[in-house]
Amino acid sequence: MKSAADRPVHPAEGGRRFDAVRPEGPEGAFPDHAETLGEQTLTFQAIRAGEDGEDDASPGAAATETAGAPSADPAAGDGEAAEAAPAGERSAATAPADGHSGGERSDGAGVPNGRPEDEDPGEAASGHADGSADANGPDISNDSKGPDGPDFPDDPDDADGSDVPGDADGADDDPDGGDDPDVPDGSADTDGDPDGGDDPDVPDGSADTDGDPDGGDDPDVPDGSADTDGDAVVVVADEDGSEEESGAAPEKRVQEKPLPDEVSEALTEALAALRGSVTDLVFGLDLPGVEEARKARAEILAQLDDYVIPRIHMSTAPALIVVAGSTGAGKSTLLNTLANANVSPTGVRRPTTGTPVLACHPDDREWFAEGGPLGSLERREAAEPGTAPDGLVLVSTERLPPGVALLDTPDIDSVVEAHHEIAHRMLDAADLWIFVTTAARYADAPAWRLLRLAKERGARLAIVLSRVPARSREVVTKHFVRMLTEYGLGQVDRFVINESTAADGMLPDHEVTELRLWLTELSVDDRRRAQAVQATLAGVLDSFRARVPALARQLEVQLALRADLRGDVDAAYGGAMAEIDEATRNGSLLRGEVLARWQDFIGSGDLMRTLHLRKPGRFAGKASRQGPERLSALKTALRAGLEAVVVSAAQRAAEETVSRWLNRPGAGEALAVAPGLGEPSDDLPRRAGRAVAAWQDHLVGLIRTEGVTKRSVARVVSFDAESLALILTIGMFGYGTAEIEVAGKSALPQRLLHALLGAESLRSISAKARSDLRTRIGTLFDDEVWRYVQVLDGAGIPDEAAATRLYQAMYNLEVAR
Amino acid sequence: MTSTIGTAQTRQGLGGRLAAVARIVELGPGRVDSKVLTEAGQLLLRAGDRLKLSPDHTVVALAGGTGSGKSSLFNAVSGLELSPTGVRRPTTARTHACVWGLEGAGPLLDWLQIQWRHRFARASALDKGESGLHGLVLLDLPDHDSIRALTDTEADRLIQVADLVVWVLDPQKYADASTHRRYVTELAGHDAVTVFVLNQVDRLSPEDLAECVADLEGLLRREGIEHPVIVTTSATMGRGVGNLKAVLSDAVVRRRAAIQRLEADLDRLVRRLSEAMPAEGAPSSPAAVDDARRIGLTDALCDAVGVPAVGEAMENVYGVRSIEWVGWPYARWIAKLRPDPLDSLRLGDLRDEIRGLSGGAVSAQPAEVDNAVQALSDGLTTGMHEAWRNAVRDAARSRSAQLPKVLSEELTEIAPRLDRVPAWWRVLLAWQYTLVLLFVAGLAWAGTALAYGVFEAGEIPEGLAFFGDAAALPWVVLMLLSVLGLGLLTAVASRNLVVLGAAGERERLEREMRRRVAALAESMVIEPVERELARYNEFYAALRTVRG
Repeated sequence: MKSAADRPVHPAEGGRRFDAVRPEGPEGAFPDHAETLGEQTLTFQAIRAGEDGEDDASPGAAATETAGAPSADPAAGDGEAAEAAPAGERSAATAPADGHSGGERSDGAGVPNGRPEDEDPGEAASGHADGSADANGPDISNDSKGPDGPDFPDDPDDADGSDVPGDADGADDDPDGGDDPDVPDGSADTDGDPDGGDDPDVPDGSADTDGDPDGGDDPDVPDGSADTDGDAVVVVADEDGSEEESGAAPEKRVQEKPLPDEVSEALTEALAALRGSVTDLVFGLDLPGVEEARKARAEILAQLDDYVIPRIHMSTAPALIVVAGSTGAGKSTLLNTLANANVSPTGVRRPTTGTPVLACHPDDREWFAEGGPLGSLERREAAEPGTAPDGLVLVSTERLPPGVALLDTPDIDSVVEAHHEIAHRMLDAADLWIFVTTAARYADAPAWRLLRLAKERGARLAIVLSRVPARSREVVTKHFVRMLTEYGLGQVDRFVINESTAADGMLPDHEVTELRLWLTELSVDDRRRAQAVQATLAGVLDSFRARVPALARQLEVQLALRADLRGDVDAAYGGAMAEIDEATRNGSLLRGEVLARWQDFIGSGDLMRTLHLRKPGRFAGKASRQGPERLSALKTALRAGLEAVVVSAAQRAAEETVSRWLNRPGAGEALAVAPGLGEPSDDLPRRAGRAVAAWQDHLVGLIRTEGVTKRSVARVVSFDAESLALILTIGMFGYGTAEIEVAGKSALPQRLLHALLGAESLRSISAKARSDLRTRIGTLFDDEVWRYVQVLDGAGIPDEAAATRLYQAMYNLEVAR
Repeated sequence: MTSTIGTAQTRQGLGGRLAAVARIVELGPGRVDSKVLTEAGQLLLRAGDRLKLSPDHTVVALAGGTGSGKSSLFNAVSGLELSPTGVRRPTTARTHACVWGLEGAGPLLDWLQIQWRHRFARASALDKGESGLHGLVLLDLPDHDSIRALTDTEADRLIQVADLVVWVLDPQKYADASTHRRYVTELAGHDAVTVFVLNQVDRLSPEDLAECVADLEGLLRREGIEHPVIVTTSATMGRGVGNLKAVLSDAVVRRRAAIQRLEADLDRLVRRLSEAMPAEGAPSSPAAVDDARRIGLTDALCDAVGVPAVGEAMENVYGVRSIEWVGWPYARWIAKLRPDPLDSLRLGDLRDEIRGLSGGAVSAQPAEVDNAVQALSDGLTTGMHEAWRNAVRDAARSRSAQLPKVLSEELTEIAPRLDRVPAWWRVLLAWQYTLVLLFVAGLAWAGTALAYGVFEAGEIPEGLAFFGDAAALPWVVLMLLSVLGLGLLTAVASRNLVVLGAAGERERLEREMRRRVAALAESMVIEPVERELARYNEFYAALRTVRG
């Protein structure tokens, strides 16, 4: 498109002209690259070349206006083309509004569409370009602001302008244009605007603008519009244009319908669902990237509430233009100047603005005062220093055109980091962004981060380069434009404001004339505004395609990590359980004191004394009660040994859990430092002792109830259940296994038990005893594990289905769109 | 002179602190966050380099955002157009250096990695009246905040190494986060070697300037810079440059900036170390494990081995088994008549098994050993930083895997055999059987006397005439009773002897076992723990030294 724009083609002549022009144009050398060139050089004014000759022939309107006589000279039609490129760019920057308006109007006229050119967008563009081209043509010679007849003085500059740099000069000229008494800056670019507003000239304006849009407009703009622009250009007879315009306007309004009801409803529902599922998200674990995810979640929520939902409900509402940029760039000053009132405090302190200030036309006030975008922010009458910056100052002024509202934001790069967040929140709610930077700052990293964000979000953007010292204007502007171009933002609307002393927080009005015109265009031209609004909205919704799934992915990662962490705990304690199982089976428990006590117990004959013949007599019952202290010592030793095994296993499990968690990136580390996780809970030894004692008692009970003695044995021998329980324990724990060689490889306890209880009963009791022990230790460990689970849960319990719901909501949103 | 001496002293103090940092770097790994240690290592390197290089030069870096006027100021101070200035942002991409007094500055500039073509020297001849700046190495850094700086860390590097950093701010950018968050706040505490220049003051009215300076000063104070030095200049108009020169000349003449910078860096490192490992509240651990804990550990290990139980078992089993040898044979024989339940269970061989119980093995319970070691390290490390707690615990456990085995082996050497039979038991057994024989013989005599003397059963054989005398009967009966009584008394006495001896032996055994357990605990647990404690103490001593 741009290239087309750059190449000046007379609208009337269409393609043919185009061709013809190329060679002629000074830039003919690099016609193909016209775009880039154009981009590099910014002329903020759209300069109409006054190519006289062409003017006549072609819509000449532009030319005519430009008074292009002078300009016309050089290129005559053709030359213009060459220069047109720059002009186009400039126009794009400066007079986008004009262009738009012009374009629309022309659309209304519809005339243009008919043209063959329309078919090819490129051509159309070229057509536009023609308009602009014409202007440009003149540029070469003069700066051409067509309208500014007076611009001629600029011409010298323009002459320079013919070269790329020349363009820049052209930009400089703008101010000149502003100087002209006639049209406010109205310079060529402006021409369009003013025309639009005032004169039938408008068409001319449109023509110019056409050029602009081609150059400046995003490719997004439907081709149709582009075409129309082209058409418009073609049409561009001033008078005609005006007529058309009038006719067109209503049509446009019609075109600009709100969304069909059912679509809107579906969309609303989809958005509500999306909002719900985003609200439900909890990112509890401090994974790498979780901060970003939390921020992204908050941003998406805020953007839905502040912007998307109100905007969907009321697609024709006034456009909210957010002024953002570095601290000290002059955002507040710019707003004050545009509003012609000191609505936002300015000063030398950095950062200056803490509370966002929204300025709008009184007619729009209601929309902004009650809900609308940023509905969650408290509305205030004036900025009160010292109050929390979570409000929004709302002022209305007649100086601003209806349909557009300007929002002054805090900075994006000062030491007060809270400001950055507010600014970003404001930007998320913007229909259009005006990015303000300065000659001293335009290479700052934060500025470019913001521009990248704008690009990613597909937001409609205009860039204001402010505080430009007059003497370095050309160099700075050129350099900045080259940077923008390299960054792929070469076609964005640009404005340059000279450094000048602000009085009462305001700049001299002529500095902002172009900007004002751009606003006015937006205000007047509903269709264009709606386009911009829709483009931004579409950009935001598009950005959800990447942002929402990113949230879902983070959530999935969280779930996976949580499962991993939980798994770590289970694995560690499962290992501990297995360790205990092993220790209670292989005889390793039967060491140390237990072994000594056992030897004592059997060696001192107590074992034999637990058995006694079932024979009435003095001996019965007497012998058995001997030496209970040895029995209980063995019992105690067994209990202590088992308890030690449990505690030691729990200790190791706790350590292993923590070390496993520490090996998990991010979150695990954070959780693992929770106090006490690295060791078993304080009362574990006590509880373990109790559990083991209870198990021992249970075992005695088992033997009493289930130890059905073999009948043959029962007739002659009785036994003491307590002792037998101990013997059973010793046997169960692996007495006589390879490791313990106390009395050869004998299986003394087993044989004794076998003989006393019978194989069947012994097996059943052993199995029951073992499973009961496992259960008791398992209960202990459950309590231990619970501590980790609590820590995990303390970090928030993510909803497993939330990710699916997110995807679903996203899908529904896409369908609804 | 005094200033030189002062410098020498400062240098010495600095050297001591740096040596302590080196110690920390040596002791820290595994205990202190590796990031902090890396930082400390880098600081050591840097300090070593800087102290080796020209002490007569003071490296002053002009740092700041793009467009604040670093290059203009550089040119204004040097009085020459050395560094290109411009309106394009960013302007300066490589550091420019200007040296007042070139001798000895070469290695310094090499170290700073300033390219040759960007080095300039002010011949001192030109500097009439500027002798105060002799020794100044002025650097014009690239910006740190433009998109170019995202991929270029030169400014960052030089800001970290310059002796004195001059922050060039301007009314538009003086509160930028990129300057304050990344550098000014980070380098709070570097007051002595940081100067703030508010440039471009020609753009402000006097009232605005005053407000601006007050705001900047407040901001800096809030960021922890207690006495910010703020100089206002206008490089393009030449205003205030003299003041800046005076500040620089002051620093250059004192020749302390390099030291002060390193000291400030050390202070910062100390802060970071203190955050990572607070020295306050860190218990000063005794270098040696105290006796109570040693005893506690030995006790716990003895329990794990079952030392008291082994002793008691020995005592009891001896007591029981001695009956077989030194007991009254008659009682033994009577007991054997009693029916044995094992026999009725047809498990008679179990009895032999029990009798064959030989003991002789002592083993330690691994779980209890673990817990004992754990308890020791827990007790020692109360209040210590987590990292040190773990370090001490790991040291304590370093050999605890082998500990149970070694304990078992060591103690088994002296473990009592339960089936041991002392010689005097055999003597007593012989004595008892002698008594039994005597009793039998007495019975025979008594029988003979009864039969022939009393009942006149017949002619007494010639050889037995002496035994047939009934008059001897009372004496024989008396002798029989005496023999029985003597046997009983001997049994009781020897039983008591056995018990007494066993008790004594148990005590000896326990003492010996304890001794061995204690020795093992010393070499396998206490020693590693003490080494770690020494490391801990040394670390904190070094930390205190660094803090100065």
